[in-house]
Amino acid sequence: MKRKFLAMGFGLAMASWLATTWAEVVVVVSAENTNESMSRSELTDLFLGRRYQFPDGAPAVPIDQRERSQAYPEFYAEYLGQTPAQVRAHWSRLIFTGRGRPPHSVPNGQAMADAVADNPRAIGYLHPDHLDDRLRVVQIE
Amino acid sequence: MTDCGSFKLSNETEHKVHDAGSAEAGGRRRVLHLLIEPTFMITGVALLVLTIIWAVTLNLTEREYDAADRTAAALSADVANTYEAQVVRALGEIDHVLRMIRFHLESEAAEEVLDVLGARDLLPPQLLFTISIADARGEVLASNDPEFGDSVASRDHFLRARDEEGMVVGAPHRNGTADEWQLTFARRIVDDQGAFSGVVAVTTYAEYFVSGYDARIMGELGMLGLLGTDGVFRVRRTGDTVTAGTEIDFTSIVSDDDPGPQESAEVATNHWDDVRRYTIARKLFQFPLAIVVGLSEQERLAPADALQRTYMWRAGGASLAVVAILALLGRLSWQLQRARVQVVEERLAHARRVEYMAFHDSLTDLPNRAFFSHLLTQSIRHSRRYGNRIALLFLDLDRFKAVNDSLGHDAGDELLRQVARRLTDTLRESDIVARLGGDEFVVLLSEVTETTQAAKAAEKILSAVGKSFSLAGQELRITVSVGISLFPDDGEDEQTLIKNADVAMYSAKEAGKNNFRFYSKELTTESLERLALETSLRKALERDEFRLFYQAKRDMTTGKISGMEALLRWDHPDLGLIPPMQFIPLAEENGLIVPIGRWVIQTACQQNVDWQMQGFPRLSMAVNLSARQFLEDGLIDDIRHALKASGMAPELLELEITETTIMRDMKKTIKVLHELKRMGVRLAIDDFGTGYSSLSTLKEFPLDTIKIDGSFVRGVDSNAEDRGLTDAVIAVGKSLGLTVVAEGVESQGQADFLRTHLCDQFQGFYINKPMPAEEFAHLLAETNGRE
Repeated sequence: MKRKFLAMGFGLAMASWLATTWAEVVVVVSAENTNESMSRSELTDLFLGRRYQFPDGAPAVPIDQRERSQAYPEFYAEYLGQTPAQVRAHWSRLIFTGRGRPPHSVPNGQAMADAVADNPRAIGYLHPDHLDDRLRVVQIE
Repeated sequence: MTDCGSFKLSNETEHKVHDAGSAEAGGRRRVLHLLIEPTFMITGVALLVLTIIWAVTLNLTEREYDAADRTAAALSADVANTYEAQVVRALGEIDHVLRMIRFHLESEAAEEVLDVLGARDLLPPQLLFTISIADARGEVLASNDPEFGDSVASRDHFLRARDEEGMVVGAPHRNGTADEWQLTFARRIVDDQGAFSGVVAVTTYAEYFVSGYDARIMGELGMLGLLGTDGVFRVRRTGDTVTAGTEIDFTSIVSDDDPGPQESAEVATNHWDDVRRYTIARKLFQFPLAIVVGLSEQERLAPADALQRTYMWRAGGASLAVVAILALLGRLSWQLQRARVQVVEERLAHARRVEYMAFHDSLTDLPNRAFFSHLLTQSIRHSRRYGNRIALLFLDLDRFKAVNDSLGHDAGDELLRQVARRLTDTLRESDIVARLGGDEFVVLLSEVTETTQAAKAAEKILSAVGKSFSLAGQELRITVSVGISLFPDDGEDEQTLIKNADVAMYSAKEAGKNNFRFYSKELTTESLERLALETSLRKALERDEFRLFYQAKRDMTTGKISGMEALLRWDHPDLGLIPPMQFIPLAEENGLIVPIGRWVIQTACQQNVDWQMQGFPRLSMAVNLSARQFLEDGLIDDIRHALKASGMAPELLELEITETTIMRDMKKTIKVLHELKRMGVRLAIDDFGTGYSSLSTLKEFPLDTIKIDGSFVRGVDSNAEDRGLTDAVIAVGKSLGLTVVAEGVESQGQADFLRTHLCDQFQGFYINKPMPAEEFAHLLAETNGRE
């Protein structure tokens, strides 16, 4: 519990730091997930369908928010450096050529929190105000 | 006129060369010759090499283009096949979704259907696909996008689906927020009675259908597109640009009959963007759409273009190199050829020079004897054919030998040159002047109608030659004698004409020189006599036909014989005694005077010594020297030899030289006289008064005696002038300390006059005529007595 707090406290600190310097959106996994950090390229690969595993080797299920949500463009801009149009073009190509499907999407931050909390394999993003005990912020280096 | 002759000769030689080969063989040879001519050969090689270079280059580039073309056509077919498969699959998936939803709508409400299917993940990703269900009026019953509009009644897909069976594709439209092209696929829904009850649709981004565009394969100008059977492009993409809505004539690019996947791409200009592409348009079997695939011709052929440029540059470079090398070679060979031509030309010029020299006199540049003979023969031939007359003028310079002897050979040569120039200047161009040798020239006058023409020419020649010449700083006058013979009157052939002109010339000479004579038969007779004389004169020495006569010189006061003068006579076997006047000029001319003179001196000296041995007193012996003899180099030796051989005392020998001889070449004369003087020989000047020597010049000569010419002495009886002159000469002679001898004394009166004027000695017919040695010995014995 102490460790959880510590982690949460650190996560909050990080989140507040990121909020002031970068963005408000954070990458989250289930609290049961042991992965605490990953590289930006690992995150990018997960969300663009090029990789299906966490750094520790466990299978990963990325979850998206709806394209029209506030978090969606922020996340892709901050972490993947891509615009929604680029992301859509990417998935268009993969779907059209039959090589993949985009992550499942949820309507909002709360839905995201629930979806990630329910699935230890899940990874998603949300605004920090949706954070709770079930989730853990993953550090992106 | 000399040139015209040489031209004639060279024309003849060329003629011979021309005749040598037949015209045909010559022509063939000329063609072969042209082919191996460096200029032609090098140009040919250059053209050949350039042709090869460019043929290979063009062939290679054509092959490149062919290959690129085939590749592009095949590639566009590949792309079309892949694209067709992808489009069919994507459309199939969408249609599957439409059918599935329609099926579920039969049992469930629209809202529930979407929720259930969405929960089971049976709907396509919401990221790209929006699903909507509308009722028969177009009211939207359900959508997975909460912000999807309320009504689709006016939408193209709704209108189409309401009226058509099967899946319809609405006209492309832009979505409100992102302003991006979207496509909506729809199917109509019917109720249990089969009546229209709504439309189920899937909307997606038009871009989705062209997302397979791979710039690595299709370049920036390739194209992927979906064309509705209505002729409206649902979407098309070129590079990164995606557009929709362009309307074209569907049948113009899609053929009705299905050619199958093996069809090859045609290059065509795509009207919608004016780009030439390998285009394939293929109608889809199940859907109201056709796929359109295009690869830009420009891009596909770009590597071939680049290669072609490279090849062209290389070929250009190679061509330049070839041209440069061959130009260099050409230049070298041209230089070589020029050098060769130069050598040939030099040889030719040399040959011409040799030919010229063979036919021209090197001194005067006039035709020589050989060439003249050729010209004369030609002229005779010509005249014979046309009945013309020719005049041949034979020229011989008078006194040329004297000029040569006194002024030297260089001056003589210069004189000949000047004479030649005057002759050619004086005569017409058509007249031919030639030099036969020595001082003999001939002139050929062709087409003579009147003999006066020849006479006029001869007169012109006489006056031209008669003008004074300037030689070695001296003014000099010479004359010429001309003999003329006419063709055909005086001879019908070359030799006769020349001989007769020569005869006429001699006649002119004998008639006093400086004039001309026409040939006549009589002249030949004369000339024959003369020829006979000359021949016998040559033999006279061998046959011992010469005799010496002696004429006494007597002392003026005592009347005793003080000396004698040896006089030459020719005792000709047929003609008897010939006086010197008749043969000495001939001997002077042909040089016989030298051996004859030598004989005279030897004989006279020997005679003098003989008489002394016989007991007669020592008397002086006078011998005449002719002009030519005097100037001959061997004279001194001859005299020394004669004195030595006979043992005669030199002071007894007196050499008589005429005044004119002395005046010919003063310098040499003085030199010779001094040498003779050193030998102790006495010197007398003969015929004094006939020349033009001034009395003062007499001092210059080391003389002992002067002999007054008989012509003065003869006049002292009657002529006061002659008396005065004779008196003056005697006085001058005395004052110079010379012995004065009077010649030709024929009377007592003359002798008396001379005696009173203190003349030393005299000789003449008055007392003694010349006589043979034996008679003279008697006379001596009578007059002086033996000692």
